[in-house]
Amino acid sequence: MSSSPDRRDFLLHTAGGLAASLFTPSLALARPTIRAGAPLKLGVVGVGRHGRAILGELATIPECAVTAVCDTDDSRLQSALRRAQGAKGFASIAELLDKAPDIEALVIATPTHQHREVALAALAAGKHLYLETPLAHTLEDLQALSEAARRSTRTVAAAFHGRANPVYSLARSFFRAGALRELATLRAQNHKKTSWRTAGSTPEREREANWQLEPAVSLGLIGELGAQQFDVFHWFLSKHPVSARARGDLRLHKDGREVPDTVACELTFEDGLVLDWSGTLANSYEGRFELFQGAMAAIKLAWTHGWMFKEGDAPTAGWEVYANRQQFHNDSGITLIADATKLAAQGKLQDGVGLPYTSLYYSLADFVKCAAEKAAPACSLSDAARTSAVAILAHQALRTRSEVAIDPKLLEAL
Amino acid sequence: MHERLATAAMGTRFELVLEARDAAHARAAGEAALEEIERCDARWSVFRSDSLLSRVNREALEHDVALDGETFELLAACVHFQQATQGAFDIAVGARMREFRAGALSPATAQRGAFELDAARRSVRFTREGTSLDLGAIAKGEALERAAEVLREAGVERALLHGGTSSVLALGAPSDASGWRVRLAGFEADSSDVELCERALSVSAPHGRTLRVGDHELGHVLDPRSGAPLAPLARCAVFGPNARECEAWSTAALVLLARGLDPRELAPAHLELRACGAPNDSLRAHSAPTLHPRAHDALREPLCSTPR
Repeated sequence: MSSSPDRRDFLLHTAGGLAASLFTPSLALARPTIRAGAPLKLGVVGVGRHGRAILGELATIPECAVTAVCDTDDSRLQSALRRAQGAKGFASIAELLDKAPDIEALVIATPTHQHREVALAALAAGKHLYLETPLAHTLEDLQALSEAARRSTRTVAAAFHGRANPVYSLARSFFRAGALRELATLRAQNHKKTSWRTAGSTPEREREANWQLEPAVSLGLIGELGAQQFDVFHWFLSKHPVSARARGDLRLHKDGREVPDTVACELTFEDGLVLDWSGTLANSYEGRFELFQGAMAAIKLAWTHGWMFKEGDAPTAGWEVYANRQQFHNDSGITLIADATKLAAQGKLQDGVGLPYTSLYYSLADFVKCAAEKAAPACSLSDAARTSAVAILAHQALRTRSEVAIDPKLLEAL
Repeated sequence: MHERLATAAMGTRFELVLEARDAAHARAAGEAALEEIERCDARWSVFRSDSLLSRVNREALEHDVALDGETFELLAACVHFQQATQGAFDIAVGARMREFRAGALSPATAQRGAFELDAARRSVRFTREGTSLDLGAIAKGEALERAAEVLREAGVERALLHGGTSSVLALGAPSDASGWRVRLAGFEADSSDVELCERALSVSAPHGRTLRVGDHELGHVLDPRSGAPLAPLARCAVFGPNARECEAWSTAALVLLARGLDPRELAPAHLELRACGAPNDSLRAHSAPTLHPRAHDALREPLCSTPR
């Protein structure tokens, strides 16, 4: 008896025992509607751990087809090719652009310090571009990328995911409508116990793969983890901080590395409001979230979920009667779900309902849709360049152990 | 040098023990393998609203749901196992499993869930209202296979991986032993200690999670044909080269035994099946274990493999 199924072309049917009626959760946050017609031909450049996650999400978006993958490391490339069935593999961006001219769009997930070279080549070749964040490790690279994006007539998107995330959009609409009133504090963290190392098949490959631990090219935790969250605050507030301070230390991973494994960063806005961010690779408690606290309410966002915690004297909206709540020790949070009133009317508000897709999915789906329609993406390159610049300067504050001013004119020019 | 790492996924604890050239390399490789397990959890868990499987269960009745290549291949394998086990293994029992987990199992019914896989579009669609998929233990086996692939890519050749101790996969053997020692909980002493080398093991029993209805204790393994839970009597262990396949067959073997059938008559020859407590305990006579006297340092006590 054969143990492996026939994986060639077939239409498979099966049936099994079943008894209960199907619970159908909200479809209000269903996948974005994208174009009909031929799928967008995509290439993915850089297929390490994150690149492979991108491949997984792209595979579930029928409006695009990954037809090329590119990586300088052959073992990573072969691994990606096993995941991206039917795609061709290339060892460099030059080879990909030369031999796969029908590629319409490129997703760039190379190490940060290599973004400039790859992205400029892609834009020069007239491709739509989705660039991982932070965009670059130096202000010079940011400026070069911004200029090239301004000249391009293609869709140029960046991977700050909050801007395409439906829960974040909903929370932002409450925030912009003044639900929190006077802002008191801003706080965010990314805590995960991990060595932040990548294993390579050989010691040489391993050194190359661990560029995040190389002080010469890495923006450390502030850039690689914090920037994603800084951008949420920039987007909600429609402004950027004017100064940065930071401190960091090696608390757990004393394995010869210089890049701190635990960092605290303070970004101050012009009106004195402060965003406190912390990142650590030593402990996972509470993971990753962003928190806005105002006189009437607090909003906590955690990528697939969001909650609003209201003060006792805050006005009550009609839909809150139907909203579901989650208890956090002494606090009761209203779960933020898009179309809550409609869902309540349908009896579909359920405890613990979060996004039906990952945050990465929404960001990539937005790019595919915008590239197909030649529309502006949720996160433009200039938006991302400004946040990346804040991260670069905050990282500079960490390295120099001094307060660093963030010049608004510098950000405006990006 | 051995490193131990663990993560919580698919409602259980996954753990790795691995040997590598140095501690930093071993930890980095292990973390990448755990990330792969977490990635599997993010796609195939029925406990997460944002998993791909939850998306399929919400939307596949209304339209085709596109799948990534790995998920499509896993569902295609499930269809194969459903056919090979004469329906004793079936992932379309999601609605019944949800009832079981909620402690509110309705009377058994023969109503059947159904779905189609379209290889050309790499998508799935439900063809009958009420269909819901639950990958259950086979997702654990697949996650172990994926994690092992990540370890091999990183140059790790010796490791023991398990999910909740009921799903086990051995890469090579410890450098000072001929295999990774595992003890089968609940099996009789003369057949409980085994060594694994480049081999997978899955142990199933209905009593891992039970539901009490009146005076009856019901196990969490259902006969997909009737929708009825099995009485928590037997337990099965399946050894073979692939963790996914072992998971499918250990579940199916329980169901087949409950139907009064001998699962060895259907199972591929490269699998080794052991059972105890079955109505017909004949399998045990064919399952004399090979015991190895040496332990290894990483696990001073053998990993105790308990049925899920």
